[in-house]
Amino acid sequence: MLGIAEGITMGSDPVIAATIEVLFRTEHRRVLATVVRLVNDFDLAEDAVQEAFLAAADQWPQQGIPVHPVAWLVSSARFKAIDHLRRNSKLRVLSADLVRRVEATAADHRDVSEQDIQDDHLRLILTCCHPALDLQVQTALTLREVCGLTTEAIAAAFLVPPATMAQRIVRGKAKIRDAGIPFLIPGADELPLRIEAVLAVCYLVFNEGYSASSGASHTCADLSREAIRLGRLVCELCPDAEGFGLLALMLLHESRREARIDAAGDIILLEEQDRSLWNHTFIAEAKALLTRARAAEPIGGYTIQAAISAVHASAATASATDWTQMVAWYDLLVQATPTPVVELNRSVAIAMRDGPEVGLKLLTPLQATLAQYHLFHAAHADLLRRAGRRTESEVAYRRALKLVQQEPERRFLMRRLRELH
Amino acid sequence: MKYMLLIYSPELAWTHDEWTACTIASGKICQELHAQGRFIAAAPLHPVATAASVRVRNGTPLITAGPFAETTEQLGGFFLIDVANLDEAMATALRLPSAQKGTVEIRPVAHLEGLPPDHFDQRATDHRDHSRYMLLCYDDEQYWNKQGPAALQAAHREAVQLAIHLSAREHYVSASPLHPIATATSVRIRQGKRLVTDGPFAETREFLGGYYLIDARDLNDAIAIAAQHPGARVGTVEVRRIVNLPDSQ
Repeated sequence: MLGIAEGITMGSDPVIAATIEVLFRTEHRRVLATVVRLVNDFDLAEDAVQEAFLAAADQWPQQGIPVHPVAWLVSSARFKAIDHLRRNSKLRVLSADLVRRVEATAADHRDVSEQDIQDDHLRLILTCCHPALDLQVQTALTLREVCGLTTEAIAAAFLVPPATMAQRIVRGKAKIRDAGIPFLIPGADELPLRIEAVLAVCYLVFNEGYSASSGASHTCADLSREAIRLGRLVCELCPDAEGFGLLALMLLHESRREARIDAAGDIILLEEQDRSLWNHTFIAEAKALLTRARAAEPIGGYTIQAAISAVHASAATASATDWTQMVAWYDLLVQATPTPVVELNRSVAIAMRDGPEVGLKLLTPLQATLAQYHLFHAAHADLLRRAGRRTESEVAYRRALKLVQQEPERRFLMRRLRELH
Repeated sequence: MKYMLLIYSPELAWTHDEWTACTIASGKICQELHAQGRFIAAAPLHPVATAASVRVRNGTPLITAGPFAETTEQLGGFFLIDVANLDEAMATALRLPSAQKGTVEIRPVAHLEGLPPDHFDQRATDHRDHSRYMLLCYDDEQYWNKQGPAALQAAHREAVQLAIHLSAREHYVSASPLHPIATATSVRIRQGKRLVTDGPFAETREFLGGYYLIDARDLNDAIAIAAQHPGARVGTVEVRRIVNLPDSQ
């Protein structure tokens, strides 16, 4: 698999080799998506696409680069798949029907149109994120089949042994095959629900990369980048307000990557970040996406969260934050997702607008439900600190410290506790 | 593709009227599926109190009263449908009234060469002395994985022989293995929202690996047939009588 790109560069015309390398990088998964549809088998398609790229490296130096290289690769992969099926005598008996079908589609699809390829790409994403697959399996399959990450890289990012991840992927492919999960774009009534599932996988991948980025692993930053790439792809293939909202949200989070951790690996809170370190290209792109996302009715949860994040991004300094606008977005978010954690965040925003004592009153009814949530006690402690109630603040920080799991967060709370004195 | 939809719900949660209404609504869905050429069979099962479980160990049949697994929600009925793919099977399952109260487990049916053709006519109700039974074959998948493919193929051959034998004596209605439990999907509707999970309704060590539908004189007759199934020597075969509805076919 990794040898393909190397194999191409060795001994062939450098211009053609470079072209194939670019094609491999940019079109590989799209070619795969179409071939999966044609042969209805992930592993067979994977092998056939690899061979098609090798065939290109072998043939294009003599024959020249075809006018439609992607169509050439699809067509070549399809014939490689037929060869595979014919060569494997056991399969020939079992899949005579499949051979016939692949041959029939070979005649039908002499020219694969750009639209077909686009649709197949979306089909591949929807199949990998099918609700009948476990969320962990959806995530693994999407990263493997859509993003083209190696099993080892995915395993490393999720901190599981490669064998476990490999088994998850095998299980997913077996279920797709044996349970008859179709390679289809569902009808308009069903599509929004399915896109929602795709966005959930996308956000999960992003968060995995974002929250783990305090560690030493570089693969985690890669996961966030993959999620953004996937988000862009989904927006392109199936424009959807919440898709734009999620992409904006991810870009806004990502824009602060350099500013949120100090040299010692400790968390720097938003209000203390060096805002010149923020990536303003990402922020500008996110704001443009938000304008499109906000046109939808009703505004979805990702879009509201992105809008909240954008209020921070628009403030030149922490003290210049527009808390009135912030509270208005939190009011919407509470309506869209009425959870105690959202209530907590809204209370903090109100406290920033109207003063800590107002916020503290709002926290009281949440105390029972969020008693085991360390960030409740951290927020509580912070408001008490701002209100000048030092002793009570100390008690709340100690409660938060008892519940906190992640090391950087623990160090942050310890620092805050020390600063009280 | 053929799919078995297994309906699990707490038996005590249904009043008689609710049960009747559910049966009528399900019957309508059956007729619709039938008109579309997607229907194979469907029926409610008699309560688990009437079930018997059969194991054969060292050549001796061990019969226990009650179902294979004691759970709070019981298998109350099934649908056997022939649709294009899992999406269609899920859409059908989510339409069933039982999905509102219980859980529908969707299992793709595996193909087994040599089984006699299905025989879903009214033989059982025509002969007053016969009833229709469902034999639910629970297997330990890990045991068969350890034994290797040859052992499983031998068991399958034996299962086909049993079906052919039953067919010759007009006991046979339908039979098939199901794809491994990893291919199962469970769906339910709660507060108007669809909930889909990857996996079976209940996590047990032994899973439903296949079924027989048979016509038998009585429970004893059905138990005797169940004891001949090769899976009874390793796993458990649960015998459940089917409720004959006037228009269930």
